[in-house]
Amino acid sequence: MKKMIHTVFQRHWNPYVVLLIAGVLSALYFGLTSTVWAVTGEFTRLGGDILLLLGVDASAWQYYAMVGLHGTTWSRPDGWIVWGMFIGALMMVLLSNSFKIRLPQHKRRYLQGLVGGIIAGFGARLALGCNLAAFFTGVPQFSLHSWIFIVATGIGTFFGAKLTKMPWWKGRPSLVRGAAQPSKVKTRIIQPYVGAAIAIAYLGLILYFFVTGQKALGLGALFGLAFGILIERGQICFTAAFRDLFLVGRSLMAKAIIVGMAASSVLTFIIIAIYGLTPITQIAALSTLVGGVLFGLGIVMASGCETGMMYRLMEGQVLFLPVFAGNIIGATLLAYAWDHLGIYNTLVSGGAKINLVDTMGPVAAILSTLAMLGILYALTVAREKNYHHHFELKRAVK
Amino acid sequence: MQTTKEADFTLDLRGESCPYPVIYTLEALEGMNKGELLQVITDCPGSFRNVPEEALAHGYTFAQEPIKNGQEYLFYIYA
Repeated sequence: MKKMIHTVFQRHWNPYVVLLIAGVLSALYFGLTSTVWAVTGEFTRLGGDILLLLGVDASAWQYYAMVGLHGTTWSRPDGWIVWGMFIGALMMVLLSNSFKIRLPQHKRRYLQGLVGGIIAGFGARLALGCNLAAFFTGVPQFSLHSWIFIVATGIGTFFGAKLTKMPWWKGRPSLVRGAAQPSKVKTRIIQPYVGAAIAIAYLGLILYFFVTGQKALGLGALFGLAFGILIERGQICFTAAFRDLFLVGRSLMAKAIIVGMAASSVLTFIIIAIYGLTPITQIAALSTLVGGVLFGLGIVMASGCETGMMYRLMEGQVLFLPVFAGNIIGATLLAYAWDHLGIYNTLVSGGAKINLVDTMGPVAAILSTLAMLGILYALTVAREKNYHHHFELKRAVK
Repeated sequence: MQTTKEADFTLDLRGESCPYPVIYTLEALEGMNKGELLQVITDCPGSFRNVPEEALAHGYTFAQEPIKNGQEYLFYIYA
């Protein structure tokens, strides 16, 4: 028992296991609700809610007409996905006694986070989905826009990684001679009790949703909770998946995400076939490419994407407050620019909703999806090998 | 694996978020002479895994097991 508690709360979980479960759960969530696990659509609506508080009614903007701006975030299942993720992550952080206010040593990080957050929020909504709806849950829906988005995100993160390496960007570390004393550890432990109280209250709320017949809200709140727990415990980071391959040849996260997407694709395929559901398809257009590149650049600048920043904020990493604000500002800017500044007409209207199941049939769709994921996996491994080959040569010369 | 050797350099990364702990650690090790000991203090949860794994992947060795100190970790790595 003690060992189990240690494994569940004291250690981070294996990313492969976590992403496999997340892949299966997101396919189930689609089967139950006909919607996908996504967050940035709700961020855009939050921006609309804030505008309304400021006296601006944005519900007539084309973008809000498209994504829907009804009620409040508390009456939207997508809203509960977001708040459930925050609460699930916070719960696990507290239960593992790992909350700590973490203030970056370099003040420039706040500005980098805000600017990166805005670019990532703008790009994600331009492409109609972040690393979830246009990536992790987009590929299993056989929506072609997610294929374009993955390539574009790769390009964006490549340039982001280059930027990260610039001395003026990364700053100098505080390397000092000799040993230093670590922080004093508090002996009174209260975090797990707070975590347990939050867990009980939140489970009560989910129960309330189901008992009062608000099934959609209950499912959103429940799956949000599960996704929050998973991404925090697995330290799932889509930003790192790309960036660390370029920076230090690290491949763990990229490989785990690919495996999770493959599992999710197969399960979604089965669910679509059995229940006759229509997969969720987004427009593939120039906007997908441009949005993906901006998203990739922004998430590296901000050190986290719209999903990763959620659990980091709950861990007490203050850097992610400006990132969260930036994400909402960027998404709202895009919603404004969509019709007011002609983004739709220039970048989107030429595109089309293309779903692989419709264009090539179900069997070819799943086979080509798995083949594409296989190629991504091979490229990831090749990049890791290539990096270490060059590193060995460099070390040998030294 | 306990060592009594005093660290030659200390990298205090408390407060820094990923990827900077990994970048700083690898750069610090690269700039040190072989055999010198680096102490890393970090509190970014992502770095609890990627700092030790990348230090090993880049051919450095650990002087002792990582120490969990409350909400932070201490690593002792030979350049």
